[in-house]
Amino acid sequence: MIIQDWLAQVSTYAGSIDDLFALIGVLVGFWFIVSEGVFFWLLYRFRAKDGVKAEYITGEEKHQKRWVSWPHYLVLICDIFIIYGAVTVWYDIKQDLPSPDATIRVIGQQWAWSFVQPGADGELGTADDIATVDELYVESGKLYHYQLEARDVMHDFSVPVFRLKQDAIPGRVITGWFEPTTPGSYDIQCAEICGIGHGVMAGTVIVQTPEEHKAWMMANTPQVRDSISIAANTAR
Amino acid sequence: MALASSLGSSSVAADDNARGEQLYELCVQCHGENGEGDSMALAPAISGFGQWYIATQLRKFRDGGRGRHFDDIAGMRMRPMALSLRSEEDVDAVSAYAASLPDVLPEPTLEGGDPAKGQAGYAACSGCHGADGYGNEMVGAPSLHTSDWYFVKQMHNYKAGVRGTNPKDAVGAVMVGMATIVPNDQALMDLLAYLRTQQK
Ligand code: HEC
Ligand code: HEC
Ligand SMILES: [Cu+2]
Repeated sequence: MIIQDWLAQVSTYAGSIDDLFALIGVLVGFWFIVSEGVFFWLLYRFRAKDGVKAEYITGEEKHQKRWVSWPHYLVLICDIFIIYGAVTVWYDIKQDLPSPDATIRVIGQQWAWSFVQPGADGELGTADDIATVDELYVESGKLYHYQLEARDVMHDFSVPVFRLKQDAIPGRVITGWFEPTTPGSYDIQCAEICGIGHGVMAGTVIVQTPEEHKAWMMANTPQVRDSISIAANTAR
Repeated sequence: MALASSLGSSSVAADDNARGEQLYELCVQCHGENGEGDSMALAPAISGFGQWYIATQLRKFRDGGRGRHFDDIAGMRMRPMALSLRSEEDVDAVSAYAASLPDVLPEPTLEGGDPAKGQAGYAACSGCHGADGYGNEMVGAPSLHTSDWYFVKQMHNYKAGVRGTNPKDAVGAVMVGMATIVPNDQALMDLLAYLRTQQK
């Protein structure tokens, strides 16, 4: 709805987060406007008048209490919708872990994001892993698991266009997932105050088409890269 | 322009350089009031460097030539600090201020070197870093009378390819080769012991 006009949706679940925001915004917004309306109407209706003494209302009588209880019941009904929406979205994004096409490591430290992704063999922790700082290269349409770590203090891996935000806690490896949709370059930020450089702890996620990503992998996988330069040297 | 070029020269006195002094308030957090460094913050002494070296390194941190390697924990702390300087003029001003600080020799923290062996080993370095280790602007080689733990750390960094391997750091690349000719940590201690005999 309105949210994506301000901030693109670039993950498969960005839409459901925005829908949840919209649901909460509309329901809460509706009651906000209605209650403010009633409030100001009452202020006006019972404004100070000559010869009329202000009345002290204890709110014990039924016809007075219903100004509180009826809206209360209506709001509770709205809550059911909100809770249902929130739990569904929370389950899909944070509790459920769909099986991945690739797994990457995301590491926060004072004050940079760094990333490790598997090279051609598709396995993390091998010699052809690709390590990058500041820039994360991913492929659109591929489901990623991230293993989030912090090297020093707490950080928070936040990618607004993915609608992804996850605390990184020293000593823990937190697994989550995302699936980027639209190629482009987008901001990564740190959303947990982590020291003097927190405000400039930015990074970029580059979502590539499968072809672009393949070319990037070829050019950056350590063994492949080295054999290319060996080939270049022997040719000379 | 006149301002920029006058700030660019290392002859700017501290009192003319209000902008530099103001910017240096950020640096104090880690490098200390007098640029004496703080090993807890992994930040070396910077008071003994010429303005040219400080400015060069700040620019390297800014454009990613330094502080962007996966294993460069300390460099990743410094890079955002350099990035937070808004303009080239600010880089020059803060460097001029840092360079104008009194050159206090950092306290030794490492011991066990043999100055005689160090002198022999230092023959390979003196061509660039000067006979007394105070550096040579012409070849871009800084003074080596900096924090001793930092000296060791940087030699390890060069050896491991953490520093001097970025394509944007062509000057730093010369040190990658130099670091490999120092055989081990004992040889580094010897170099430090010798350098101490040259301190003024
Ligand atoms: C958050 C702490 C921090 C702050 C603030 C900080 N620095 Fe640093 N600085 C470091 C660290 C850590 C290093 C060591 C980097 C390395 O080991 O490669 C460093 C390295 C440097 C170097 C390289 C020294 C050399 O011998 O190569 C210069 C120059 C420098 N800082 C200047 C500054 C200036 C000028 C400021 C203020 C604008 C500043 N720093 C602010 C932490 C900091
Ligand atoms: C060919 C010239 C050359 C030689 C020889 C040389 N250096 Fe360097 N050294 C440099 C330059 C240039 C730099 C600055 C690199 C930069 O700008 O990042 C440097 C930087 C350093 C640094 C980092 C200082 C700092 O404050 O960050 C150390 C430590 C160092 N050299 C030690 C040595 C030692 C020890 C030797 C001898 C084994 C040596 N160098 C030989 C040119 C040289
Ligand atoms: Cu952070």
